[in-house]
Amino acid sequence: MRTKKTTSWLPALAWLLAVLAVTVSAAGAPAQEAAADAESHESDNVFAKAIAHAQKRCVKIYGARIGRVEGFATGVIVSDDGLILTGQGVFLSGTSIDVVLPDGSRHVAVVERRSPALQVALLRIRVQTPNFFKVPEKSVVRKGDWVVAVTNLFQVAEGAEELSVNLGIVSLRTRLDAKRGTQDVPYRGEALLVDAITSNPGAEGGALVTIDGKLAGMVGKIIESKSTNTRLNYAVPSDLLYKFMAGKLIEPAAIATAGGGKTELGIRLFKLGGKRAPAYVDRVVPGSPAAEAGFKKDDLVLTINGEVVKNVRECKKMLDKLPAGEEVVILVKRKNEILRAALVPAEVKSDEK
Amino acid sequence: MKNNTLGKVDAVSCRVLCDSANSVDGKTAGRRFYFVFKQSLVLFLVFTCVRGAGAGEKERAGYILTSKAFRVAAEKVLPSIVTIETYGASARPKSSGRRRRRSSGGISRPGDGPTTGVIVSSDGYIVTSTFNFATNPRIITIILRDGSRYVAKLLGRDETRKICVLKIEGVSDLPVPEMVDRNELKVGQWAISVGVGYGDDDPAISYGIISATSRISGKAVQTDANISPANYGGPLIDIEGRMIGLCTPLSPRSNEVTAGVAWYDSGIGFAVPLHGADRLLAIMKEGKVVYPGRIGIIPKPASPQGGGVAIATVAPGTPAKKAKLKKEDVILSIDGEKIIDVLHLRIVLGRYVAGDKITLRIKSGKEERDVELTLTKGVEPTKKPPVRKLPGKPKGKPDKKPAA
Repeated sequence: MRTKKTTSWLPALAWLLAVLAVTVSAAGAPAQEAAADAESHESDNVFAKAIAHAQKRCVKIYGARIGRVEGFATGVIVSDDGLILTGQGVFLSGTSIDVVLPDGSRHVAVVERRSPALQVALLRIRVQTPNFFKVPEKSVVRKGDWVVAVTNLFQVAEGAEELSVNLGIVSLRTRLDAKRGTQDVPYRGEALLVDAITSNPGAEGGALVTIDGKLAGMVGKIIESKSTNTRLNYAVPSDLLYKFMAGKLIEPAAIATAGGGKTELGIRLFKLGGKRAPAYVDRVVPGSPAAEAGFKKDDLVLTINGEVVKNVRECKKMLDKLPAGEEVVILVKRKNEILRAALVPAEVKSDEK
Repeated sequence: MKNNTLGKVDAVSCRVLCDSANSVDGKTAGRRFYFVFKQSLVLFLVFTCVRGAGAGEKERAGYILTSKAFRVAAEKVLPSIVTIETYGASARPKSSGRRRRRSSGGISRPGDGPTTGVIVSSDGYIVTSTFNFATNPRIITIILRDGSRYVAKLLGRDETRKICVLKIEGVSDLPVPEMVDRNELKVGQWAISVGVGYGDDDPAISYGIISATSRISGKAVQTDANISPANYGGPLIDIEGRMIGLCTPLSPRSNEVTAGVAWYDSGIGFAVPLHGADRLLAIMKEGKVVYPGRIGIIPKPASPQGGGVAIATVAPGTPAKKAKLKKEDVILSIDGEKIIDVLHLRIVLGRYVAGDKITLRIKSGKEERDVELTLTKGVEPTKKPPVRKLPGKPKGKPDKKPAA
């Protein structure tokens, strides 16, 4: 209050500078292509345009329900001739799948293709869909970028009602299945983790859009992370969706099993501490690869090929899976030192042991 | 190379942009000038960087800068973040008790993945959340951001703040994050949680704001950024990458190691500030447990309006009893700080730990006096033999209020 008068010219200076900047930049700048097409909505807030853009390109999907698993989801229109991307849920398993377009019209959809790895499905409705998302070939977001999730979570929107919108940022792009060599989650591949809570019934298949209205990804299933024991809020990145649509996605083999027979490193674990005890070496078979690599009694196996070995049970499981002839890197703890050993498992004849 | 300096400018300018709405009032002309100058600089940058015009353009550019600031802030604290891996769980968390392992919605134990810690001294002391060791692992290793791995020793802990200290040997010059003075914190300012609990070397970040600067009897700040096992033990940072506090599950009602976890990713999260917590850290570094300091009284409001603090009960065998405090005595101040009400008493006491000497200003009747006493870790409730209640007999009244 006291100082207001004396400094009232200062904001004016600020604007002058700003306006100057605008003219300077506008002169040499090529007209930037607005990702969101000309919507009649006022751009009164930063996300309004992107949201309005997305609302015209997302659909409500209704299908079968099994027990307590809900039979509804969200979908993203990705072509002008009725192609819709959605998640791979039980709602696709029934005899009929209904798609409700943003105008409230209801259409029967058929499943064209599925991707077990991404847990996505491509549906088709027999109607023209002039408003659609162009699925970007490359990733359009980085960690920290703002994203809005446009979904029909909890089926709160019905008919022509607009979908629900959640704001968040991209937390991390990471693989969900990289650890442990077991199938923690049905999803295989990189995922966009977001900090908006999208892990809710019905949100699956919703659009994750950038501040510019570009499709950054498709909201994923409700899954729990074994790493954290918490629900994951993730989206399938648009570049993977693009690959899937273009038929270029390489579906990983079901589970990579060790080819050939049993292998042997020559490590015997200390088992008296129980299965949840750390994986201490009890004995090293003389002449075995482990003996040659210098393993000793009381060494603690920390990691095998970079994967953490929490306990005896895990260690045994992982050792049993090692393929013959392939080098394996094992980190061990000896006293307070951490040592690295690279060794090649020997094949064992099946009648041994 | 060039990116870093640019990023720094952006982070600062962002803060200015974001704070611009509420920080103008009451500033001196000089600071105002500085502020406006900075703002104009920001606008200049914004408009030269982001081409195009329009009403929402400034705001949009601000949002884009904010994203960048989130990244830059997280990168700044990144070298101080460690990945914690544990081997051989030997126990389920105590609190799970007879209850089922997983309650609906909540979780009661850490997952299989790694957890997060923060380096607090260059010679290898690391602070993390006690939740990360809820399964009582036998072996703990630490991975620094350069990929090097160390065996860590678990030292002391603070069970009310749910933080603990680890030590790794054979290291030096480790980067320690800059800590924000908690008195500088303002409700509404940006807060970003950072953690490596998803198992990637790259930490996940979640944005939010400071929801409250003093919670859980002043021990924590509250944020609406996602706080979960993905970042328990990790830092909550401000937009400039300075550490606000250590993310940890807390509950106003319980000190159990998994209490507060049910609030994960819910919009209610806590971080324990480490700025000014040197004493706590020193105790934990020695391998000791930090116990809250207790006087041994049950307080009550001194006036019907709730102001002031009087003593409702003095527990036997406590510092209060030894100092001859009596029922109905009024506590005026602690070490010169005037005590406003019962909650304030808890907050002030929360700054001390068991073993600290404090001076109480006591008013009994009309007479005022100073009382010096040494706080204890509290009286262990003597185990009463199970009382079989007989009909008609008056019940013993268990007082549920924790003694302050």
